[in-house]
Amino acid sequence: MNLKISALEFIEEAKNGNISVEEFVSATLERINSVDDKLHAFLSVNDNALDQARNIDKKIKSGEKVGDCFGMPISIKDNMCIKDTKTTCASKMLENFVAPYDATVISKLKKQDAIFIGKVNMDEFAMGLTTEFSAFGPSKNPWNIEHVPGGSSGGSAVSVSSYECIASLGSDTGGSVRNPASFCSTVGYKPTYGLISRYGLISYANSIEQIGPLTRTVKDTAFMLNLIAGVDPNDNTTVNNNNEDYLENIDSGIEGKKIGIITEMIGDGIDPDVMTATKEAISKLEGLGAICEEVSLEMVKYSVAAYYTITATEAGSNLARYDNLRYGYEMPVEGYEFNSYISKARKNFGPEVTRRMIIGGFVPSAGHAGKYFLKAMKVKSKLTKEINDAFKKFDLLIAPTVPILPFKIGEKIDDPVSLFLVDINTVTANLTGKPAISIPFKIVNGLPIGIQLMANSMNDKMLLQAAHALEKTVTLPEIPI
Amino acid sequence: MVTVEEIEHVSKLMKIDVDDHSEYLEKVQTMISYFDILDSAGVESEEISMPEIPIEQLRNDEYIPFEDKLIEKMNHYKGTFVRAPKM
Repeated sequence: MNLKISALEFIEEAKNGNISVEEFVSATLERINSVDDKLHAFLSVNDNALDQARNIDKKIKSGEKVGDCFGMPISIKDNMCIKDTKTTCASKMLENFVAPYDATVISKLKKQDAIFIGKVNMDEFAMGLTTEFSAFGPSKNPWNIEHVPGGSSGGSAVSVSSYECIASLGSDTGGSVRNPASFCSTVGYKPTYGLISRYGLISYANSIEQIGPLTRTVKDTAFMLNLIAGVDPNDNTTVNNNNEDYLENIDSGIEGKKIGIITEMIGDGIDPDVMTATKEAISKLEGLGAICEEVSLEMVKYSVAAYYTITATEAGSNLARYDNLRYGYEMPVEGYEFNSYISKARKNFGPEVTRRMIIGGFVPSAGHAGKYFLKAMKVKSKLTKEINDAFKKFDLLIAPTVPILPFKIGEKIDDPVSLFLVDINTVTANLTGKPAISIPFKIVNGLPIGIQLMANSMNDKMLLQAAHALEKTVTLPEIPI
Repeated sequence: MVTVEEIEHVSKLMKIDVDDHSEYLEKVQTMISYFDILDSAGVESEEISMPEIPIEQLRNDEYIPFEDKLIEKMNHYKGTFVRAPKM
């Protein structure tokens, strides 16, 4: 059984009866069984996956209407609720939490006969960019298991790149889909803010986070977006996309498109191999008829500080719900005073979550808000103006997704500022609400490099067309696992 | 420069017990010190823009019954009440 096929290839084969969904899902489960001890992408595997696959096979054989996914095995980041399934957020605090309802993205995919093959690893509450902050241990990069897979949707990227599923859903607050996609050589998509409902996504920083697909190909991402995008009455921040078909005309190419090269994202600190790959990508785009010129976004320099200030503030508020009364451990309430009970329960948060809660209490507090939080919000506003101005001149913006190569596990864990700066090229899309995609572009010394393209809000379709054009110029080696 | 005392105070307000103060606080201090870069952004006169959603676009404020008894999913409950430590 060839597990390396794309989502669209799988659907075609399953629809025509050339693939048994049961056999494909069974082979996928065997693959998880054989490689996941090394990679640790999965936190839980769906025990009912094979039964679900058999039911879909029956529907196909009997000519019954089958959903567009035809039993495609998809992994789900463990911060999205699937009814009656554990949703841990990779935290001890939610280790035994069973979701009482489906997230909107889940109910949409269920209607299309997707099979959720398992829930995948992440940094605790999505706070991190290496998956090292998972309370259940880090995931490993399948290209070199001594290296981080990126994060926080590390389990999603690992599971797609190592053929443990066909596609995955992650969430992207500051690059958490695109960063692991780049580090593991998959496509990773952060849509326009509001394009996909966040209902049922466990909140980290509501004002900037988005659910996004990780797939083998850009076409697969367009397909997934067709299934999960659109207005949701349960999420008032969702926007009407008028049922846009993102797959239609995906081969349109980029001839005549103007692409801005963001100078602040290819400056100090960029790895020479990443710089070379970026120049090669620009050259390929020019070869396809695009016009590339440099553009400056001055606020990018301050974007990481603004991003962490804003997200910590929102996280401090969101995490206040974890009082051990509604969610948490088996810990009797007798014998405790209210505040000390909560403080004791919260000791079970991991170190990064604890740090962010402290920061989230500090930066918006009386006496400090003017220096930190309000300035961060002003940087966000000015950055949005700068990027909107850039999009008056350019159709797209380009930069490497991450300025460095995947680094070794543990290498940066004790240096928070060094870790912050890994996000420098990705947070802009979140702070400004713009869509952005990471496209697998090159493997250097056995480690992947991804290229990021960004477009103006609601220009997701054009962004996917450009990404598809770039993707077609690339041939990458097989993953070594 | 943020002081250790300030961070300890905030930790208490956020109801977080920290055993190893020195390790935690050093990193938190490093992180907050990095945010001082915002001072040089020159954004003092910038207006903060906020997204606006017209009230007619919000869903109706009405009771939607939930099929499960959510209270039974909580750690501590009695009848229709959540049990909490005394305040």
